[in-house]
Amino acid sequence: MHTMWKGSISFGLVNIPIKMFSATEDKDVRFRTLHKECGTPIKYTKTCPICDREVQNEEIVKGYEYEPGRFVLVENEEIDAITPETRKTIEILDFVHLEQIDPIYFDKTYFLSPQETGDKAYSLLREAMRRAGKIAIAKITIRSKESLAAVRLYENCIVMETIFYPDEVRSVEHVPGLPGNIALNESEMNMAIQLIENLATDFNPEKYTDDYRNKLLELIHAKIEGEEVQEAPNVPRAAKVVDLMAALQASLDATRQDKKEKGKGTASTQAAETKEPAKKRKRKASL
Amino acid sequence: MVSLLMKKSDEFDLEIGEYKLRITNPKKFLWPEDQITKLDYIHYLIAVAPVILPYLRDRLLTTIRYPDGIHGKSFYQKNRPEHAPEWIETQYWRETNYILPNNLETLIWLGNQACLELHVSFNKYQRERFPTELVFDLDPTDVENYELVLEVAGKIKEVLDSLGLFSQAKTSGASGLQIYIPITEHYTYDQTRKLNKFIAEYIASKNPQQVTLERLVKNRGTKLYFDYLQHWEGRTLPAPYSTRARKGGTVSTPVTWDEVKSGFRPTDFTILNILERIKNKGDLFSSITTEKKEQSLDELLAFLEQKQLD
Repeated sequence: MHTMWKGSISFGLVNIPIKMFSATEDKDVRFRTLHKECGTPIKYTKTCPICDREVQNEEIVKGYEYEPGRFVLVENEEIDAITPETRKTIEILDFVHLEQIDPIYFDKTYFLSPQETGDKAYSLLREAMRRAGKIAIAKITIRSKESLAAVRLYENCIVMETIFYPDEVRSVEHVPGLPGNIALNESEMNMAIQLIENLATDFNPEKYTDDYRNKLLELIHAKIEGEEVQEAPNVPRAAKVVDLMAALQASLDATRQDKKEKGKGTASTQAAETKEPAKKRKRKASL
Repeated sequence: MVSLLMKKSDEFDLEIGEYKLRITNPKKFLWPEDQITKLDYIHYLIAVAPVILPYLRDRLLTTIRYPDGIHGKSFYQKNRPEHAPEWIETQYWRETNYILPNNLETLIWLGNQACLELHVSFNKYQRERFPTELVFDLDPTDVENYELVLEVAGKIKEVLDSLGLFSQAKTSGASGLQIYIPITEHYTYDQTRKLNKFIAEYIASKNPQQVTLERLVKNRGTKLYFDYLQHWEGRTLPAPYSTRARKGGTVSTPVTWDEVKSGFRPTDFTILNILERIKNKGDLFSSITTEKKEQSLDELLAFLEQKQLD
């Protein structure tokens, strides 16, 4: 696993040096977009519609649109100046019960493991949390972004879930068309409850697979097997390297042949000529 | 001139010339399954010193320490620890005070520290931009499939032959294989990278079902990874004859191209039998420091540079 981050958990007077790893990975199948006509991956260019030309990166500034068509410009340095200092700490603030956090708050999960000197403190926190049956709420900084996190146990590992700030979770009030209290038929209700109970089971994640992804990959592999392959013009790196190698071998053969021919006339100096002096002369020329 | 002085609790002092070294826990098993103790390991280092030192000398050392044996906790060590004897030679490079594994007494001291793997830089510290060899690092994704490693290595050897380059292979001691091409010590890492990349791309495009240049392990499938990025300043590979912290006490072992052709397993070469092999076959790796040392890459680089300009 690739270490994303090194830092520490601070917990009262205890400081636990840790490494952080991403706990989940996105397995979506990604596509590139090609020009249908020739199969070249298309390129996005940034253009200015008024100046009617392509704009380079160094010509681009950030603007905040405070009302339509009106911007305040913000320089990168100004953003840097107010960016929270990356102290790289997971600062534990409170301990709460996991059930008190609605899953809507959870964003991304990271595994935490102790660094070389953190074994004991890590085990201590892990065991204490297990016994207390509580999880920690902490403040963290990742990539200059401050966020809130829940620190909890998953199997034998301390994990950290970044959680949204309350104002990042939208209010249910704004969901359109939610029915209020509608009078329900009691026998229909009993039937619905019956149905739920019939489908009730234990959560077993292995049971669920991404059928769409599997079918998509099957489709793609079938096309590769069937050589239904579109090759981009101008970018056939593979063919180019092979040609280049052939050309290189031919050119080396030619120079060697050349050297042999030259050597024939003066048999006595042949050895000397094909060894050091020839190389040295060339080296000078190319350096 | 090595003499022993037994002390209480198995500890003893080893005198090497003018230096005295305290050997601690000599009976501790470093490779428990193979019953190899720290004392055995130090014996190995003493015996192998004459052949290993030429490939360690003046190079920046990154070592992996296993104080409680190969199954215990391990850590990388680049910096000279504070408690190291003052005669351990070091060299500052990029804010790290690297140990230079330059002599027998340093080797023994490293052995006592349970430094089971000795990884060294591609260049000598005096010539920080210039590697002594061009090195290809082959790393199978399917560690059981060593036949694939040998087959691809054979193909690389053919290409190198066609380019007029002499090469020497060695096992990594784990599941990989490395190919060393001795070169005149005046090509920069940028230049060797160019050639490394070109040959890697060539081998990968000729053998797309077998070889990949994909950096992410999860995207490599079961293919062999041709790691042309490893050969770079600040990076390291296990030195020839360095042990690895693996069951069996495997050793990074130079092999002949005939052996690559006829086949072997990397686990064939271990701390228990490598000295016998060296006795019978000599130091195969010495080929890179003998008459082939001064191989020029001028023609190849000139050709590639010119083609890139086209």
